[in-house]
Amino acid sequence: MSQTPTEAAARRALLLNLSPWLFFVGLIVLWELVCRVFSLPNYVLPAPTAIFSAFFDVEFSRWMMHLWATLRVALMGFALSIVISIPLAIAMMRSEFLSRTLYPLLVVIQSTPVVAVAPLIIVMMGSDDPSRVLITCLLTFFPLVVSTATGINETPEELIELSRSLDAPLRRETWQIRIPYAIPHIFSGLKVAITLAIIGAVVAEFVAAEEGLGYFIQFSTSFFKIPQAFAGLFFLAAVSLLLFKSVQWTQQIFFAWSLPKKK
Amino acid sequence: MEHKSERAFVRMTGVGHRYDPTPGSPMAVQNIDLDINRHEFVAVVGPSGCGKSTLLRMVSGLLVPSEGDVSVFGKKVNGPRDDVGIVFQKPTLLPWLSVRKNVLFPLKHKFGRYGAQDEKRANELLAMAGLEAFADKMPDELSGGMQQRVGIVRALLLNPDILLMDEPFSALDAMTREQIGFDLLKIWDEQPKTVLFITHSISEAVLLADRVLVMSKRPGSVLDLIDIDLPRPRNTQTINNPRFSELTDRIRNHIYEPDAH
Repeated sequence: MSQTPTEAAARRALLLNLSPWLFFVGLIVLWELVCRVFSLPNYVLPAPTAIFSAFFDVEFSRWMMHLWATLRVALMGFALSIVISIPLAIAMMRSEFLSRTLYPLLVVIQSTPVVAVAPLIIVMMGSDDPSRVLITCLLTFFPLVVSTATGINETPEELIELSRSLDAPLRRETWQIRIPYAIPHIFSGLKVAITLAIIGAVVAEFVAAEEGLGYFIQFSTSFFKIPQAFAGLFFLAAVSLLLFKSVQWTQQIFFAWSLPKKK
Repeated sequence: MEHKSERAFVRMTGVGHRYDPTPGSPMAVQNIDLDINRHEFVAVVGPSGCGKSTLLRMVSGLLVPSEGDVSVFGKKVNGPRDDVGIVFQKPTLLPWLSVRKNVLFPLKHKFGRYGAQDEKRANELLAMAGLEAFADKMPDELSGGMQQRVGIVRALLLNPDILLMDEPFSALDAMTREQIGFDLLKIWDEQPKTVLFITHSISEAVLLADRVLVMSKRPGSVLDLIDIDLPRPRNTQTINNPRFSELTDRIRNHIYEPDAH
């Protein structure tokens, strides 16, 4: 062949970049074909085109209203769990007493299915934002505590010795050495937590809500508007993906040093 | 110019340490008596686990010996002291700070801030180590040898009287290692320090030091303290000096003999 090695490499790279998109498009086309060939009814599996038109049948302002309701709860829960988890992880690193006392409780909270606890929380705290934020927070804080604690503990012993030999205050050891060292781990935790935050918000809406994308999906399903429910589902997935990407971009822009080195 | 003081700068008397404080538990080091003069370069060699690093930690005050005393200029060491600079086996630079900021880190960490004067000093030290072109680079853009040079410069920032080096070159390849050793001597010449240099390499110890302390297997104690009467400045020619092989042989015999029978 007349291809030079660099051309071949460039083609390979292009194919590698395009392959997820090609796969995605291929899947949608296959889906559409299956629906048409077997003339599946909408309630069994709506065709992508049906979902697409259902999306535009819903007014934009309604989408925005539902989006805002879900996003608000997810982001508040996410923020609250950052505010709780990171100081908690630091406190647990500093005090063995605290870590021994609290860790079992954290594991118990983590192993209790939040879906099962959610109705109780709604009954106890009412069906407003605070209870939804709490449900979201219960789901998101554990991965954050664990990842922060892991990162903090991985600080090289030499740097701690350096800090001690300088007789620096513990506060600076925490802020200038331990927390920055934990940043890569904190970001892996944040990536898990942000997707869980959306799940938490949707779970809370399933239990009791009058708005939100989770509520919208449930409500559409109960009226057998399946293409509309699918439209809501895809919208929700897109939002979740965008939030995940935002966390990734934040790391790329502000903490570029913490990314794994490209070979 | 100050001459070598009559009184020892660093003095260890009857120093011993056990990490497990229960009486009768094994000692990490024992019966260490050592006087180091001001601006003297002392290297410590010995088999792995013989307590070389323990010795270094006791001088820095990070570790208080369970027996005996360590004193610096007549004052007993009983806690971390800030007039020592420590260079570790790994460079342990902070990956989120530029080279210059890494060098300034001890000030930032100790006092929370630094001034223009300090930045100037950092730049001068970097220039002395031949790193001025890399001041704004990030640590991962530097080779291992250059990173360790930054580690040395960082240890010099607070202008310590004592430089403690814990196998600082053992992670480097042989060629870089030899070069950085001579560079260290140049820096030591310009900025005289009392150096305690831990190493696994007998030839490195002889090549760099004024005196070499040979330690026994655990529990570490002093087997020999050898004056290295090789002329300075030392360079690649020093290795060809017949005296160099005599001295390395003498140390080697100490280290291998006890295993021979």
